[in-house]
Amino acid sequence: MSRVLTLLASLAMICGLASPVIAQAPEPSRRGLIEQAQAEKVKTLHPYPLTTGERVMNKVEDIIVNGGLHWHPFLESAYKGGGFALGAGYMHHVSSYNLIDMRGSYSLRNYKRAEVEFIAPRMFERRGSLSILGGAREATQVGFFGTGPDSVKDDRTNFGFQESYGSATMSFWPARKLLLLRGGVELAQWTEQSGEGTSPSVDTIYTPAALPGVGSEITYLHTQGTVGLDWRPAAGYARRGGFYGVTFHDYKDTDEAFGFQQVDYEVVQHFPILRETWAISLRALAQTTFLKGDQEIPYFLLPSLGGGDNLRGYGSFRFRDRNSLLLQGEWRIMVNRYMDTAFFYDAGKVAALTEDLDLDGLKHDYGFGVRFHSPFSTPLRIDLARSTEGLVLVFGTSAAF
Amino acid sequence: MPTSFVSRLPRRTRLTLVAAAAFVVLGGSASTQRQRFYSDDPISREPESQDASAAQSHDIKSIYEMTYNLFVTSGHKPSGLRAKNINSIDELPDSNWFTNRIGTTAITPEQMTRGANVGAPPDPSKWILTREKTAGVHPGFTARDAKGETWFLQFDPPYYAEGATGAVAVASRIFWALGYNQVELFLTTFDPKRVEFDPQATIRRPSGARTRFNRDDMNAILERVAKSPDGVYRVVAGRLLPGKILGGYLFQGTRPDDPNDVVPHEHRRDLRALRVFGAWTNLTDLKAANTLDTLVPENGRMVVKHYLQDVGSTFGMCNELYEWDLSYEYFYEGGPTVKRLLSFGFALSPWQTIPYKPYYPSIGKFEGDEFDPREWRPQTPTTAYVETRDDDAFWAARRIAAFSDDLIRAAVRAGQYSDPNAEKYLGDVLIKRRDKILSLYLTAVNPIVNPRLGASGLTIENAAIAAGVVKGQPTYRASWMLFDNATGETKPLSTTESQTTTLAAPAGLPTAPGSYIQVDISADIAAHPSWKEPIKTHFRRTAQGWQLVGLERLPETAPAAQTLEDER
Repeated sequence: MSRVLTLLASLAMICGLASPVIAQAPEPSRRGLIEQAQAEKVKTLHPYPLTTGERVMNKVEDIIVNGGLHWHPFLESAYKGGGFALGAGYMHHVSSYNLIDMRGSYSLRNYKRAEVEFIAPRMFERRGSLSILGGAREATQVGFFGTGPDSVKDDRTNFGFQESYGSATMSFWPARKLLLLRGGVELAQWTEQSGEGTSPSVDTIYTPAALPGVGSEITYLHTQGTVGLDWRPAAGYARRGGFYGVTFHDYKDTDEAFGFQQVDYEVVQHFPILRETWAISLRALAQTTFLKGDQEIPYFLLPSLGGGDNLRGYGSFRFRDRNSLLLQGEWRIMVNRYMDTAFFYDAGKVAALTEDLDLDGLKHDYGFGVRFHSPFSTPLRIDLARSTEGLVLVFGTSAAF
Repeated sequence: MPTSFVSRLPRRTRLTLVAAAAFVVLGGSASTQRQRFYSDDPISREPESQDASAAQSHDIKSIYEMTYNLFVTSGHKPSGLRAKNINSIDELPDSNWFTNRIGTTAITPEQMTRGANVGAPPDPSKWILTREKTAGVHPGFTARDAKGETWFLQFDPPYYAEGATGAVAVASRIFWALGYNQVELFLTTFDPKRVEFDPQATIRRPSGARTRFNRDDMNAILERVAKSPDGVYRVVAGRLLPGKILGGYLFQGTRPDDPNDVVPHEHRRDLRALRVFGAWTNLTDLKAANTLDTLVPENGRMVVKHYLQDVGSTFGMCNELYEWDLSYEYFYEGGPTVKRLLSFGFALSPWQTIPYKPYYPSIGKFEGDEFDPREWRPQTPTTAYVETRDDDAFWAARRIAAFSDDLIRAAVRAGQYSDPNAEKYLGDVLIKRRDKILSLYLTAVNPIVNPRLGASGLTIENAAIAAGVVKGQPTYRASWMLFDNATGETKPLSTTESQTTTLAAPAGLPTAPGSYIQVDISADIAAHPSWKEPIKTHFRRTAQGWQLVGLERLPETAPAAQTLEDER
């Protein structure tokens, strides 16, 4: 038996060794080679690998497309002139569209702001939106140079204030486009304070009698209403379209000492040239105030000019008075889909009387700027402006207009 | 690109893989120790031998892909390598990517107008909305028709009435004829009064949550689309594809989970050729999100089928109403940016001045008079676009040459434009652009095609002369050689010349079946010096006569196709 097995085993060995020689190798073929490569790949199959960079960008895209953004940067200072501000916000949807945004910022000049906003962006079958806002802010060194067009830069004094506020604002687009109606009501408490910084505090130069509002604590019921026509693609960035609007404000002082009314007239028009290669963008803004009986307007709420989005070659709040006129022009140059440059010219004046809001004695500046934008917003604007008072470098997180 | 396994490998490994792929498809040329041609050359179909059931769904996100292509792929230096999925006679075999249609088989105008459609159109007497549309720039829905079949509906924006729907309908016919897998598309109607909402229908809200899709959601979408006076909307309906949806494919690398996908996509001729087909039709939105892989059963196993799914960003629909630059510039290009920055916008690019007259809102910004194929750009460069060589472009141009005026107008009829002038204009522009592409790419390389060796000698055709883009008669020259298929060695026989497209064969050609000859064929005409570079052809002797088994228009390594900037 064992011999038989040995013989069979030997035969098997011989057959096994001989088989490569005896068996016909398949004729090589193109198809065979491809199939061989495919068979080889089976051994290394794996899902798509993702790099860290791709994961991060995919997450960003998910947030953009599907929502779900909670933390966001908040770079708005508590008040104009506060310097570079850093801050953050946390958004939380309370329903499909409505959200609450809690945010705060702190600026180089120690300006502070904290607020909570409820936003309902989709009301009345997408014809309206509602904002309910409450918060507090503090500014420590706001400039005051005196009133009137001839105030002197070297006469700068500083003041501070604290404000706590609560407001509700409703915007309504009856036809979902073009015609805009906006109304709002705000309860705000202003506490004017001594100023900090290198300039003297306002209360060391002016008395409350000489400058209404010094040392004051005012509680306003501020109501406002706007009627406008707006056919810009977006207020945050546009190279075509326009906005024509009038806003009426009523500031009712609960102590009836500092109540007043104000009307703002604003025109923005963009003229595209050669397929928006360039755009001539113009803006005019007139602000007029009206006294209520023998009440006064606190100096810190007077219409003002100067700062990063109006008379850019002058410091913030450089000019104040009962009325103001601002004229701006930009020659915007499209560099690519995400970047514009612009030459700009600003002119304006403040005046005690409405009839003095003419083109005589305008303050001027001019400059050049670079803007990085999306189709709807301008997250970064850098303008270099020159006026008779020197060069000013502006960093903005929104369009000038 | 990191989502591609191959591209993540070290450069040396990648080159080895590419060389291996070259060997696999072309065979022999990578090694003198292996035979050059096999008994089944030239193959007419790429095999899919392995089961791909393990392939998994994966969404390739657009922002990363766009960023990568704008800032990495734009700097990609073309390898100059020949396409790797061509067969031994420089043609594309059928595959799950591509099916030879126009140029290889006769297509009637009726077939052209029908395109990929084989099933019945939707029944629009009732639509049941199931979901919002998630792909593409134009608004739409996912819905079931009155027969219960699922469709993807897409509307026109208000400023391009009939434009978006017409473009995708026409372009899908053209790309179907060109050989790409296409979704079945029908132009139909959407009556909001006959709409119902699936109880399970949801829509993603800004909060991120999915909640019930309701009539207000539908109205919000309908407010952004072109309305008809009778309140019924024109829509294009795309049939739900069969099989498991796997997501899009990239224009480079391979699917790491598909065993049959062994040729890097940037070396697939069908994907390189989109540079030419894209220029013709203005298909600018070349990205993974507009492609789709599905897992389907085939011959008893699961295989991946690759669709060029959304070809709607074509003709004048690639630019929105206030966009002009697409098809002339990538989303971002450093050169034009610097030029405009330093010149304050006065260094104008062509797109800033090209007239679109007459202008039809249903066609958009699409013209043929100023069109230059070398200047055309997709929104972002793909690696396949960068790797395109002149022989790829020549192959593509031959396909386009097969579109007669009648076939083009038959494809355009699928757009069902209500304005006959608009329909005529679109056809006219496609014809003009076709002619410019033929003039450029059929003449850039030696255009000799279809060599046949028979009793009367060697007969050839000249694609450029046949297309009417070159006048005159070149002198053709054939260098005859014996060819050893095992070693690749050649032994010169003689040279023959002719003023016609028939060249005499020399005496002494082998007669034994299985023997090979090589014939290098050039054309001499003053206007086109590049034609002197011969195409290399190989014939195998069979019992029936000589069979063409090899054709090489350009060597294994050659420069990529030129852009206008390259030429400047």
